[in-house]
Amino acid sequence: MPPPARRVAASRPPSLIEIATVFGRISSTSFGGGQMAAIRREVVRRNGWLDETEFLELFSIAQILPGANPTNIAVLVGSRLRGVAGAAAALLAAVLPGFLILLLIAAVVLEAHLPALRGALRACAAVAVGLTLANAIEMTLPRRRDLVQLAISAGVASFVIVLHASLWLTLLVFLPVAFVATSRSAR
Amino acid sequence: MFVVLSLLGFGGGSAIIPQMHADVVDRYHWISSATFTQFFALGKLAPGPTTSMAALVGYAVAGALGAVVATAAIFLPAAVVVYAVGHGWDRLRGNPWRDRFARAMAPVVLGLMWAGVVTLARGAVDAPVTAAVAVVAAIVLLRTDWNQAVLVLAAGIVGAFALR
Repeated sequence: MPPPARRVAASRPPSLIEIATVFGRISSTSFGGGQMAAIRREVVRRNGWLDETEFLELFSIAQILPGANPTNIAVLVGSRLRGVAGAAAALLAAVLPGFLILLLIAAVVLEAHLPALRGALRACAAVAVGLTLANAIEMTLPRRRDLVQLAISAGVASFVIVLHASLWLTLLVFLPVAFVATSRSAR
Repeated sequence: MFVVLSLLGFGGGSAIIPQMHADVVDRYHWISSATFTQFFALGKLAPGPTTSMAALVGYAVAGALGAVVATAAIFLPAAVVVYAVGHGWDRLRGNPWRDRFARAMAPVVLGLMWAGVVTLARGAVDAPVTAAVAVVAAIVLLRTDWNQAVLVLAAGIVGAFALR
């Protein structure tokens, strides 16, 4: 089954500057979460650096490992593309702009209460919801005929939404099920 | 401070926020609980991961240098672990267990993604305007290859006027 990425994986690895530019742009424009979705959009859909399967793989690792997921995936993508230097460039670009903007916003918001600024930031957070929604739809569409996978995804989603289950509990419950189900459907 | 925060860095994503609260407020009394909540809200408002709020804690404790130290301490240790695991994972290429694991994780991750949509929406969709912005953003992102910065900018302008 072809991945839904619009572009075939690039033949040449991107330069450090390209990596830093993409992750810097993501981290300075992702408000209120939704960074993972932004990263997938840039890395898979817009630049074609990784295909959907590779991204899902790195995404899985980033979820399981300790640390903030968006910075984890920045390190993983950077190192997959350009080794240690790529990982360092991606991490720096993922952390620095947000850090500076945070200090700036803190200075402004803590000093003066600007309702217009708060309104603007709320709307930006709503974009993050739209972005995550768009990604979830895009990732689901190619699997829409695989009822087993859809059932597992739906189970995971409701488990987390309704019971507020932690990541580890969710993995403990669903990973064995998924393991059995997907290895059977592959044959 | 270095040590405490870098240990915190291993707690994992926003799950470490309660732990951070316990440490910087209850244990070390660096800042008050009210200040912590305010920092948390700012961390969510600013772009980038919420854990960057560690920078604000560092700033409150030790000024600009504190902000830099806290930020490095919270992201670096985890980044090293992640790099090492990613490297090990790449070396397992061709191992059948690796493929089976990746295949099993795919639907689970997809479910987590949908749960993420709901979690984010609970916090961010609090008015008809924000709901509309979210839906319009999703449609635009699905249909075009636009840079998300354009949308964020447009939403910011809409919000500044419509959400006071």
